Amino acid sequence: MSEWEPKIVAFLCNWCSYGGADLAGVSRLQYPANIRIIRVPCSGRVNPKFILAAFRHGADGVWVSGCHPGDCHYIEGNYYARRKLTLFHKLLEYTGIEPGRLHFSWVSSAEATKFAETARQVVEAVKAAGPARHFIKKQAEVA
Amino acid sequence: MSEIYLTKQKLPALVTQWMERYRVFGPVFKGQYHDYALLGEATELDLNFQNTRLSPKGLFHPHSEKMFDFTLDKDSPEAGILKEVPKDGSPRIIVGIRPCDARAFQLDDRNFITDQFKDPWWAQRRQNTTLVGLACNNPCSTCFCTSTGTGPFDTAGLDAMLVDLGEGYLLQAVTDKGTELVEKLPAGEPVPANAAAAVASLRKAAEERLGVQFDLGPVKTRSMNELFEAPFWDEVQFACINCGTCTYLCPTCWCFDIQDEVYQDKGERIRIWDSCMFPLFTLHGAGHNPRSQKLQRVRQRFMHKLKYYPDKYSCGIACVGCGRCVQQCPVNIDIRRVARLMSESCICAV
Amino acid sequence: MWNYTEKIREAAERLLAENRVDVVIGFRKGTLPLMNEPYLARSVDQVKQLYWDGNCGINLANYLPKRPDRVAIVAKGCDSRNIVVHLQENQIQREQLYILGAPCHGMLDRRKILADLKGREPLRVDETDGSVKVVGRDFEETLDRSSYLQENCGICLHRNPVIYDELLGDLVAEQTDVDRYQDVRQVEGKDAEQRWQYFEDLIAPCLRCYACRNACPLCYCPTCFVDEARPQWVGKSLDRTDTRTFHFLRAFHVAGRCTDCGACERACPVGIKVRQFTKKMEKDIKDLYGYEVGVKLEERPPLDTYKPGDPEPFFK
Repeated sequence: MSEWEPKIVAFLCNWCSYGGADLAGVSRLQYPANIRIIRVPCSGRVNPKFILAAFRHGADGVWVSGCHPGDCHYIEGNYYARRKLTLFHKLLEYTGIEPGRLHFSWVSSAEATKFAETARQVVEAVKAAGPARHFIKKQAEVA
Repeated sequence: MSEIYLTKQKLPALVTQWMERYRVFGPVFKGQYHDYALLGEATELDLNFQNTRLSPKGLFHPHSEKMFDFTLDKDSPEAGILKEVPKDGSPRIIVGIRPCDARAFQLDDRNFITDQFKDPWWAQRRQNTTLVGLACNNPCSTCFCTSTGTGPFDTAGLDAMLVDLGEGYLLQAVTDKGTELVEKLPAGEPVPANAAAAVASLRKAAEERLGVQFDLGPVKTRSMNELFEAPFWDEVQFACINCGTCTYLCPTCWCFDIQDEVYQDKGERIRIWDSCMFPLFTLHGAGHNPRSQKLQRVRQRFMHKLKYYPDKYSCGIACVGCGRCVQQCPVNIDIRRVARLMSESCICAV
Repeated sequence: MWNYTEKIREAAERLLAENRVDVVIGFRKGTLPLMNEPYLARSVDQVKQLYWDGNCGINLANYLPKRPDRVAIVAKGCDSRNIVVHLQENQIQREQLYILGAPCHGMLDRRKILADLKGREPLRVDETDGSVKVVGRDFEETLDRSSYLQENCGICLHRNPVIYDELLGDLVAEQTDVDRYQDVRQVEGKDAEQRWQYFEDLIAPCLRCYACRNACPLCYCPTCFVDEARPQWVGKSLDRTDTRTFHFLRAFHVAGRCTDCGACERACPVGIKVRQFTKKMEKDIKDLYGYEVGVKLEERPPLDTYKPGDPEPFFK
């Protein structure tokens, strides 16, 4: 009997977080395999449309990770992302998405252990929230 | 022509009886306005209304409707084949249709049921529906049906009509479908002797209250080009915000868009209301948009309703005077004003 | 109080005659009680049609983006803040504008009045400082004006225009002691499931007519995200998830730019309280970044800027 395994979409910035994920793999660190990674040039590239699209397609959780503030490869992309994504998280939670579905982190390309640890935390939080029930669109519910 | 009379207290019982054999729709109060809905119980029906917020065209031409579905799964023998989604074709009665909306269905038929083509979804619903109207004793100030070729007691398009005589309703059959419906009912109270006179006097009062608010005779004779190039469109179009409110509420607007929505290997073809007010309405595949400017779109809507349609079909304008657009336009663009401008070309107060 | 009509006509005539502006944007009296129509006057004889009363709730700044000519515009407090946002976002240049500031006493909520009349139709409405007299075919009622203001007007903190070239009347006292976020806190107090259901019920009547989007002065994108087709982010049908996505993303797109003018709620043909989405954004932006929209021209909108020490409540 297989237990439900959450599907989590992770938007990782190319320069830091993706590098961190890569290093975690190369170092043979173990972390749950529920993460499906989408590489973006910068966390500032992440448009709220993407996160909503992930939920609509059935993602149980979404995780966005970028460079530490001050270390962005594009100097200030992650500063904008911080404001944008903070507000987005608040609005999403306000309209009824369960807490624990949307996660953000700063992971640098050397922080392989932090990446693995954060991945574990994210998967646990999404498991606690259960399978996605809201915001999924597979078929238009119309007449 | 058969008719029966029933007191207002007896109406729910009649509706309950109808509900045994038909799906019955009628105006239901939704908190801020009335709208047509499938009745779960006869007591939900509320005939104390002037008109519904949305027109009843949604009962025949819903806002969003699945037409077909299909699978893209290569292993399936039916891959790529559009399969029609079955619809509920059981007979329906819609109660409380105002004469303007009923007349609008006839105008809509001209689009959906032609010699060359019959829209199967529309046609099936029209066929399995009996329309029981409600005459307008108290038209509101934004109604102008008498100026568009119909009237508050007009039976065109209806199968039967209810007239509110105060203590009760007179239910008159209009068509064979209506006669069939009325005759199957047990006899109500005896029809009051003065019923015919009461109906006539209510009708006269309603028609007088409405008056004639504009005369489109001159529009018939003026050339299309002259109206098209007229200078008053600049003034008419300024306020418009190009939302879809007027077109969505209008009983004679029928435009739609068809979209395919696909998720992984399953998809469906959906029909949704579209509006000539939206900028993308006339966007061509090549990228050219002949009505990219607001003025062009606003002019198009009024010219279509008041000039192109009557010119093409010679049976009146594509407006029934229900007044919903006048009531709900967020910026108060008034078709009555525009009609006057088109026939008189003067900027006068309404 | 409401002699703005005369002042507007006088100013418009003067500005057009002096060739200071090419057009004047204001309102003219509507064809129904409690409604007015936005109007553009190009010449001195059209100026006679300009009018002002308590039914001028639609935001005239909606007509400004990308206008090429010189415009005089009548602006209430909220409208003027939207003009500031337009200036910040380069949708129009300051030199093109001549702003006729209209200190506002709040606009009437037509739907509230009609609802309380319970189906009786108003044929004429007379407004005075404190009351609204509604006259119908066989009834007459006098209502207390302050009880029938638009919801956003009731909690307005910026009745006076923040930017103007000329004032049409004396500045009014701003409201103090106003709790702008009482309804937001009420929703915040519910649990996730209740909140989901609350918003489901709120947007259930939505027709996807986009009146809210089109009445909003900030929604001026040449291609709205709703119309994007490759990829299609949100479907156009009445599917509940699509409808929710639309309202949600639209509220997010106006975050930090919305002045709570109420034009969206006023425009909605089915009376949806769309401000329930945008009020939350406004509250969060105030709490997190201390920013109030459109008050200072030099202050960039909150999502257009950053501070190295910004709060990061959710970042691991």
